[in-house]
Amino acid sequence: METPHYAPHYVAARVQRVLAEDDRTNELGIRVDVRGEELFLRGQVSSDERRHQIEDVARETAPGLRVHNEIKLVEVREPGEEEHL
Amino acid sequence: MRDLRIAAVADIHLGEDVRGHYRKKLEGIEQRAEVLLVGGDLTRHGTVQEGRVVAEELRDLPIPVVAVLGNHDYHSDANKEIIEVLRDAGITVLDDDSTVVPLDGLRLGVAGGKGFGGGFAGKCASEFGEPETKAFVRHTREIAERWRLALKGLEADHKVVLSHYSPVKDTLTGEPPEIYPFLGSYLLAEAADAEGADLFVHGHAHAGTEKGMTPGGIRVRNVALPVIEHAYVVYCLNGDGDC
Ligand SMILES: [Fe+2]
Ligand SMILES: [Fe+2]
Repeated sequence: METPHYAPHYVAARVQRVLAEDDRTNELGIRVDVRGEELFLRGQVSSDERRHQIEDVARETAPGLRVHNEIKLVEVREPGEEEHL
Repeated sequence: MRDLRIAAVADIHLGEDVRGHYRKKLEGIEQRAEVLLVGGDLTRHGTVQEGRVVAEELRDLPIPVVAVLGNHDYHSDANKEIIEVLRDAGITVLDDDSTVVPLDGLRLGVAGGKGFGGGFAGKCASEFGEPETKAFVRHTREIAERWRLALKGLEADHKVVLSHYSPVKDTLTGEPPEIYPFLGSYLLAEAADAEGADLFVHGHAHAGTEKGMTPGGIRVRNVALPVIEHAYVVYCLNGDGDC
């Protein structure tokens, strides 16, 4: 059984590794911070579905922690000014 | 010589869930640029199915597309099939080699590939010790050597290096310094500086910054989608100074 409370220092590292390695997510750029009973997810992804998948995987990996999903959607604006080199 | 407008993007990380979205943003690209460079991490899991989504999104554009793969595109060991799917869709995929794109009287030479890590001068791994460490560093060294030769052999009016990994630290600013060795290698910059290029385009560092320069003075641009926050950026290579 996962017992995050006994190894709090490793929970963030473990969640981050699972987010990279789990085939549902494969997200390498997500920052995971644990403060007491709270787990914070930060970063950018390109769809709402991916945001939620990441949250689900984080919840499974760190049961018992309250997950705060602060992941933003990548903005893809129309191309702007060109740069002259 | 006239000026030349190059559109560039990386880390589009396409998949079924976002099918069709990116393509819409490419409408009218031919009015802004003459060629589109895509710097790897085309997919999320590196499956052939995702590769097909990428091919559909990038196929039959009014301008030529040159791409390289990224580390995500290798994840499912389907990198070769993905390259095939993309080439079948008319996309030029560089794999440690080069191409010359004829653009209305101008020849644009593009050299590159995925690249790899290892770190930056003074703070990098070297080919010493365990076989695993040596293999890691050797992989990058061999890639860099292939790029140097590819650049050397290019007969073109403008030369651009297209990579997934970064050649410099400048464009990693914003990423944790501890992971720099996994984000790029100075050997890639050294290869470009040895033969010369007008521009070095890369991605991979989603939290990095857009602009940097190699020690030899080649402009480096990190065009990862989360960095540029636009469908693509356009760089205008100067012809006679009126660009
Ligand atoms: Fe990426
Ligand atoms: Fe990447």
